[in-house]
Amino acid sequence: MKTLEDLRKIREKAQSEMKTRDQKARVKIVVGMGTSGIAMGAREVMKAILDEVAKRNLDDVLVTQTGEKGLSSMEPVVDVIEEGKPTVTYGNMNPEKARKVIAEHIVNGKVVNDYVVATQS
Amino acid sequence: MQDISLHLLDIIENSARANAANIWIEIKVEIMKNILTIHVRDDGDGMDEETLEKAQSPFYTSKSARKKKVGLGIPLFEQHAQMCDGDFTMISKPNVGTELTARFRFDHVDRMPLGDIATTIVSSILGHPEIDFHINLSRKVIDDKEFTYELSTAEIKAELGDIPLSYPDVINYLNETIKEGINKTKMEEI
Repeated sequence: MKTLEDLRKIREKAQSEMKTRDQKARVKIVVGMGTSGIAMGAREVMKAILDEVAKRNLDDVLVTQTGEKGLSSMEPVVDVIEEGKPTVTYGNMNPEKARKVIAEHIVNGKVVNDYVVATQS
Repeated sequence: MQDISLHLLDIIENSARANAANIWIEIKVEIMKNILTIHVRDDGDGMDEETLEKAQSPFYTSKSARKKKVGLGIPLFEQHAQMCDGDFTMISKPNVGTELTARFRFDHVDRMPLGDIATTIVSSILGHPEIDFHINLSRKVIDDKEFTYELSTAEIKAELGDIPLSYPDVINYLNETIKEGINKTKMEEI
């Protein structure tokens, strides 16, 4: 059984880790979760991203979701937002592509140009 | 949408877009009554009567980013419920919130499977850290015996303080606790 006690332990661990570095998230990943996105598999993309974040222990990444953005024909859509860099929008995503974006872009800092549908500063 | 959990995600997104601070989600199986109920309530902006009526039309959407004004989320869910001897109701009040109930005949041959409820719940919780989710799963079997599971993110957030929900260990925690709830109420196989 998972209990609130487990959360207390997680908090203590996270707090001791955070003392050693800047608290702010380094990068924010936003998954478009409108009706068309969901119908095209956005939830599975979200699941793959969360899975990679947990597996790779990426504790400086913030994952969130948003509604429709008017890019229905390119759903599922994922934005990668980093301070001081142009926002990169990936389109026509699937779980496999999402895992690649985590590995190459989020971890190694290299934009996966093949999947990019828009960039914006 | 291939299953109920995807519809549920869509409905949750509607509540989020209506600036809900709290979303209550109830999934209830009543074996003896042969009913599966999905109930979602929020304390968001709500709708007046006119908007509420329009929300059930396929040619209405509140999404301003849309060029083609089509909104299929709610009409499709309604259609699926009605297709399997169920019903669908939505009530709403401006500045109070919206409440939606979809009921399905549990053993109807055309009823969509419940699908991956765990992923819908976890991704909604993480995707909307500003919203408190109150989840209630229940399965009522013979002799009114009931298996229930409850989760409130308010408690979790209070415990975590300033640690974000997408912190890796928290993601694992949420996945596991919700899986426990789904096993307890045997929702994985429906």
